[in-house]
Amino acid sequence: MANFFATFPPMWRSVPALAALALMSTALHGCGDRDPDRTAVIDLLPEQIGGWTRSASATYYDRETIFDYINGAGEVYRSYAFNQVVVAVYAGSQGPDITVELFDMGGPADAYGVFSHAREREEAGIGGGYEQRGRVLCFWQDRYYVCVASEERTADSDRALLDVARAISQRLPPASDPPDLVAMLPGDGLVASSQRFFHLHQSLNYHYYLARENILELSSETDAVLARYAPGSTYLLLVRYASDSDAAGALTSFKRGYLPDAGESRTVETENGMFVSYGSRDRFVVVVLDAVSETAANDLLQATLNGLRQPPN
Amino acid sequence: MAKDNAALTRRDFMKGVGGAFLGMAVGMPEPACGRVTQPATSRVVLIRNEHVVSGLNDYDGDLIQAMLDEALVALFGLESPSDCWAQMIRPDDVVGIKSNVWRYLPTPPELEQAIVRGVLGAGVSEENVAISDRGVLQSEVFRRSTALINTRPMRTHAWSGVGSLLKNYITFDRPPDYHDDACASLAKLWELPITRGKTRLNVLVMLTPQFHNIGPHHFDPSYTWPYGGLIVSRDPVAADAVGLRIIQQKRRLVFGEDRPLQPTAHHIALADTEYGLGNAAMDKIELVRLGWTDDSLI
Repeated sequence: MANFFATFPPMWRSVPALAALALMSTALHGCGDRDPDRTAVIDLLPEQIGGWTRSASATYYDRETIFDYINGAGEVYRSYAFNQVVVAVYAGSQGPDITVELFDMGGPADAYGVFSHAREREEAGIGGGYEQRGRVLCFWQDRYYVCVASEERTADSDRALLDVARAISQRLPPASDPPDLVAMLPGDGLVASSQRFFHLHQSLNYHYYLARENILELSSETDAVLARYAPGSTYLLLVRYASDSDAAGALTSFKRGYLPDAGESRTVETENGMFVSYGSRDRFVVVVLDAVSETAANDLLQATLNGLRQPPN
Repeated sequence: MAKDNAALTRRDFMKGVGGAFLGMAVGMPEPACGRVTQPATSRVVLIRNEHVVSGLNDYDGDLIQAMLDEALVALFGLESPSDCWAQMIRPDDVVGIKSNVWRYLPTPPELEQAIVRGVLGAGVSEENVAISDRGVLQSEVFRRSTALINTRPMRTHAWSGVGSLLKNYITFDRPPDYHDDACASLAKLWELPITRGKTRLNVLVMLTPQFHNIGPHHFDPSYTWPYGGLIVSRDPVAADAVGLRIIQQKRRLVFGEDRPLQPTAHHIALADTEYGLGNAAMDKIELVRLGWTDDSLI
């Protein structure tokens, strides 16, 4: 945090510097061992990983203070059941510092969700899956989403990130499967690593801008997965609502807002020459977007409806 | 065209309702019909230098000063940079320079100091000048400011599409209040008592822009490139629109496909169509190009 102001002439920086101190004070407040929740979380991070030593202090951010740490992008975490994140730095005698962020996402589904939010590739071997890009490695495991970042990318930093991530993974509860909704997606044509699991309207618009209004009536009570399919760049949206009536209401709202010209048809050609199809079963709503043909839209819709199942009681 | 903007859908953008460039902002092809607001044009100066960037956050301060000087002369059509500053700033002004301190890609201190020199050269006393980002509401200078200068680097952003000049004013209020719909209402920040009508100059830093993210908030230098540019305008919307086009074109080149920003940066288009703050459509922007022309991407 102090680095934010390190490079600026002091005469122009007095006010921000004071603000930064206040911010650091807020972030550090209550981070001692007396807070049982925080003690439990920090204990998940080993004090020593090979030649890397965890710093004595760590910083914590919750749903309210997350913006102090990552500005507006905090909304990504808040769109899930994010509880808190602990940030700790590992220093080693060889190589740059490594920063570890351990996000408590409230449950495995949302840990997967935030992992899926922007991952471009996924590899197995750490937790429920991981992605390493540049100087950052992120993985999800149980209710935790973990990011390990090297201050610089060096010849050894990729290896160091893997070592640190694996050591932390060993401290966490066992890895879970992705949410059951993700497993209901048809396999044929599915683009690898394209599944995005989320709950809210703004998350849908992040991945696929559908409408300014929440015409699918998404909420924290809904689970949704969006995935890309070949051929073309077809999107499949599968939403599970809290009840059958909620799903029926959402489908009516979607038809009224997005397909007012559908009439009784389940498939509509849109202005870009692509096809939208939609359907529902019980608590589920399925929408196929930007399919290359009417047949492709209907086939993907039907395959999805056929694969739906209720969670076990 | 009569459709309420609050109810706009992706299909409306396909039809051209809501503005051609708004549709483009959400990744749609440009439709045939345009929009009818903001009749005035906006001048935007894009100046580049192939030697100004030595590395990420490693810049030649003398060249930045020269670039800013040349850009101002072109923007205002005056004889000298000092004439431009004298037109923007009065000696009795109280000037807040709204900067950006994001750790990985801050506003270059060399640029901040070039702006300070210009302001002081216009006759403003030192105690009436401040640079700040997150401390603007606590700054005595910003609270009594009569003029603002807005500067920041452009970068992709996980909640607003891009970190823009428009977004740079978010610390003038409570940031979460502007997060809805991918920060669609950022232009409202320019109507706050502390900002309204005060902005004299916008400098969008395109020295090493960031064109892609890792995850929701991580940074990697491999997603920046040495573009070596500054975009200078009195219209923040127009400057952002030019910067956004460059970012989008860079993404096309790198990814080999038209990959829209996630989320879309529609706050820039909406600043034009809904808030009338400036011009986002390229046919309303008079783009003046100076300096290095290779790979300008626009």
